[in-house]
Amino acid sequence: MFDRRLIQNIDWLLLLVLIIIAGISLLNLYSATYPIRDVGGAQIFTKQVYWFFTGFFVFLLMTTFNYFALERIAYPAYILSLILLVLVIVIGKVTCGSQRWLSLGLFSFQPSELEKIVILIVFAKFFSEKGGFQKYRLRDLWQPFLILSMPFLLILKQPDLGTALLIVAMSFSIFFFVNVYWKSMVILVGSAIAVAPLVWFNLKEYQQARILTFIRPEMDPLGAGYHINQSKIAIGSGLFWGKGFLKGTQTRLNFLPEQHTDFAFSVLAEEWGFLGAIILLMLYLFLILCGLSIARNSKDKFGSILAVGIVSMFFWQVVINVGMVAGLLPVVGIPLPLFSYGGSSLITTMASIGLLMNIRMRRFMFSA
Amino acid sequence: MKFSDKKWIRFRVYLVSIFFLAGLAIILTRAFQLQILETKRLYNRARNDYVGTTKLPPKRGTIYDREGHELALSVEVGSVYAHPKRIREKAAAAKQLAGVLKESRKEILERLNDERSFVWVKRRVSAEQAGEIESLDIEGVGIITETRRYYTGSEIAAHLIGFAGVDNQGLEGIEKRYDEVLTGPQYSLIHMRDAMGRLFSISSPVPSGHGARDIVLTIDKDIQYKAQQALRSAVEKNRAASGHCLVVDPATGEIIALAVVPEFNPNTFSKFMPYHWRNRTVTDVYEPGSTIKAFLLAAGLEKGTITPDTVFDCEQGEYEISGHIIHDTRKYGMLSVSDIIAYSSNIGAIKIGERTGHSTFCDFLLKFGFSDKTGIELPGERDGFIRMTEVAKPIDQTTLFFGQGMLTTSLQMVMAMAAIANGGNLMRPYVVKKIMDESGQVIEETCPRIIRRVISSKTAKKVSDILQGVISGGGTAPQAAIPGFTVAGKTGTSQKVDPKTKRYSNRNYVSTFVGFVPADNPRLVILIVIDEPRDSYYGGAVAAPVFKEVGQWALNYLRVNPQTSIVELKNTHIPLKPDKKKPSLSGPVTEIALNIRSENDSEIIGHLPDLRGLGMREVAKKISSLGLKAHLEGTGLAVKQDPKPGSSLETIRKVKVSFSPPS
Repeated sequence: MFDRRLIQNIDWLLLLVLIIIAGISLLNLYSATYPIRDVGGAQIFTKQVYWFFTGFFVFLLMTTFNYFALERIAYPAYILSLILLVLVIVIGKVTCGSQRWLSLGLFSFQPSELEKIVILIVFAKFFSEKGGFQKYRLRDLWQPFLILSMPFLLILKQPDLGTALLIVAMSFSIFFFVNVYWKSMVILVGSAIAVAPLVWFNLKEYQQARILTFIRPEMDPLGAGYHINQSKIAIGSGLFWGKGFLKGTQTRLNFLPEQHTDFAFSVLAEEWGFLGAIILLMLYLFLILCGLSIARNSKDKFGSILAVGIVSMFFWQVVINVGMVAGLLPVVGIPLPLFSYGGSSLITTMASIGLLMNIRMRRFMFSA
Repeated sequence: MKFSDKKWIRFRVYLVSIFFLAGLAIILTRAFQLQILETKRLYNRARNDYVGTTKLPPKRGTIYDREGHELALSVEVGSVYAHPKRIREKAAAAKQLAGVLKESRKEILERLNDERSFVWVKRRVSAEQAGEIESLDIEGVGIITETRRYYTGSEIAAHLIGFAGVDNQGLEGIEKRYDEVLTGPQYSLIHMRDAMGRLFSISSPVPSGHGARDIVLTIDKDIQYKAQQALRSAVEKNRAASGHCLVVDPATGEIIALAVVPEFNPNTFSKFMPYHWRNRTVTDVYEPGSTIKAFLLAAGLEKGTITPDTVFDCEQGEYEISGHIIHDTRKYGMLSVSDIIAYSSNIGAIKIGERTGHSTFCDFLLKFGFSDKTGIELPGERDGFIRMTEVAKPIDQTTLFFGQGMLTTSLQMVMAMAAIANGGNLMRPYVVKKIMDESGQVIEETCPRIIRRVISSKTAKKVSDILQGVISGGGTAPQAAIPGFTVAGKTGTSQKVDPKTKRYSNRNYVSTFVGFVPADNPRLVILIVIDEPRDSYYGGAVAAPVFKEVGQWALNYLRVNPQTSIVELKNTHIPLKPDKKKPSLSGPVTEIALNIRSENDSEIIGHLPDLRGLGMREVAKKISSLGLKAHLEGTGLAVKQDPKPGSSLETIRKVKVSFSPPS
């Protein structure tokens, strides 16, 4: 099954960057869970190590088949993902006031994570078949709009504002890439802002509070604004060189909320300083540039669009997460890919990098 | 794929790249802004705004007496604190707290309105109050456990132990001198916000060199109690200003009891005046008076200038020295050295001194430790003072022989007497026997230390023998006699200098008795000083009875055997309670059957004998041998006595006996 050329075309740089980020991530997780190691922190760390192994297996799995096969299962997969999203609302597990998880016996599963990849595949298929790169006008986009809105609303209903916004951002990135007429783009973004009030009233109170405090974080320093202030203090107190591994006081004293999940970057920034933050962001930049290079060199439009979609997924997650912990964006709960603790997000990320690798490995093959 | 498509893809990818790069650049700028530009503000916030600390008083080690009784210990008490910002309804909270704490609501409300994140509402409340406040369950108000000092014996050894203040810092006595040893790790309250932003405080130890260490004193709580009680009643009885009592083990230099009147209660030390706290046995100096003759005797005998039998002319009570006339209380003619000491003749002392030499005497006083600090582990000790030969006028030289023109502390005096008692060695006095760490391991143990040999043991023996004469019927202090034991000692009665007239006062005296018992194998050296007694002021009358009371009690308590040679004497009664098991001081105590009775079976030891039918002389002798005061009325044979025969000797001071001629 494996052609010699497939091995030759492995993007070693991408793999290296992936492994380095994974390594830093585990180191950081160890530190983040260190203060709570006796009360479950140690298990969190070992669990994440297992998730990384599982992730690499998924990554390898995603390189075994010709990605073009995905084009064929795009719509069925889309339908299936919608069914799963509905199921989540009906029978899903409730954690922290949201229904995001489907229990599959041994482990739980977040259909919204699957949706992120599925929607990329659907858009890649749609735009590659539609004729590729032409100036799309609004009327050409009613189908993609429909495709996007159904999972968006379902995810918003859970509610998972972060992921809902993420798929919108990813879709818009693809629209931008496939060359939507700029006036249409403006209208799109404008209408997105126009529906915002609609979204607002559908939000839970805590989500509204978070967005309000984003606008004025000092308004309620002990309540909703607390997360963001603590995070800013953690990042800021890291200075240039950082406080050192396991030495972050905000982290040590458990000031940081969810320091091993959404606020993992704050821990890194506190302990490794500006230097650590720059290095991590550079690694993400490498990952993104590798992905874009794969998109540029893909042998077909489907591969290109899919690769750009995957890269945009990374990009938006990094920007939203870091922007969020640095107080640039409201706290919406987007994990930092490869970095935050959590199985679902990690598996999705590894799968999508696997797909990138798949596209890269098959850049000289012709479709059957 | 067409070439144009390929070109398009490249173009679009570059476009997307630029977009992505711009996005990441914004994020980086933000990190830069937070970590490099705003650093100071955020770094300080991370350090200061969110972590505040309040120091808690450190725990202190326990102070034990020599038998392991706790004298000072740290007990845990609750203190009420508040996080004012977390209290929702301050007025209501203040009302509730005021109700429990019995304090003014206004004051509490003021504290609750404080801007700080942490305030004490009230320190060290009772356990019941702490419980009530906890059950009120007011948000933002809590109880923290801290320690406070508690002195189990209240006044017992208060001057020696001293006390620790509100923040558990040693302020007086051993507490002050050994503050660092006793002080355990400092505790801090660290105020933090939990992940939900709520304030909370935890107490955590601040690393320090060691844990709280315990101190074992040389003091014996029971003897100390007796000494204080006896001294207190003597001071009251004599309407005196103050008094000291020191009990020392002459073999080691251990202070077994240190009593000072006026007393104070260290648990409520702030209610007393600082002069109550003063440990007068080391901080106050006075002219020793006649007690110094014991050391003059030692100097003369050691130098060989006199023997016990050397006879001096006491000039019939009037002796002129460079224009000053020295008087004795009575007119004496020729007296042996032994008698001079027993009767405490000033003129005799001058004669001994003149033969021995003023500078030799000064040398001996220095050797006996009179001028230097003893180096005891107590704060505030003072030097003595001796006007040395070079600066002393002839009259000053003369008066030094009976203890004027020099100053001494009680501690110096008792240690000098201890040197005579133990065969000639000046010992370093000490009150701290050992220091133990928290696990009870001994870290430091004080060993007895000889400072120097002052006189030979032979001389010491001679001095001791002569000093026993003081206690004899003809001596100045028969009141110091302890039945069953030989006592050696010396009285002192010195006039105080009136601070106004700068002359010796006719009203204010210091009455002293310092001696040891048993004389031939001394176990205890006891000093009694009664300052400014009224009515009677002779050392023999005022101080000697206290010596007897404390000595008798302590010997019995320590189960020191009475000397059989004295027990065998007719009509002598030794109060002993053979069933009592008591610790020893130094050296083993042979336990023998203490079933001692006099010939007359009706006279039980420790009780007043039946005096009826006896002659006046016999009665006087008997009462005096019991160390009691006799009040005799009438002539002839005793017919009536008060108290009644068989009364316990411990409760009696004075016996009233009526005589009438036999019919």
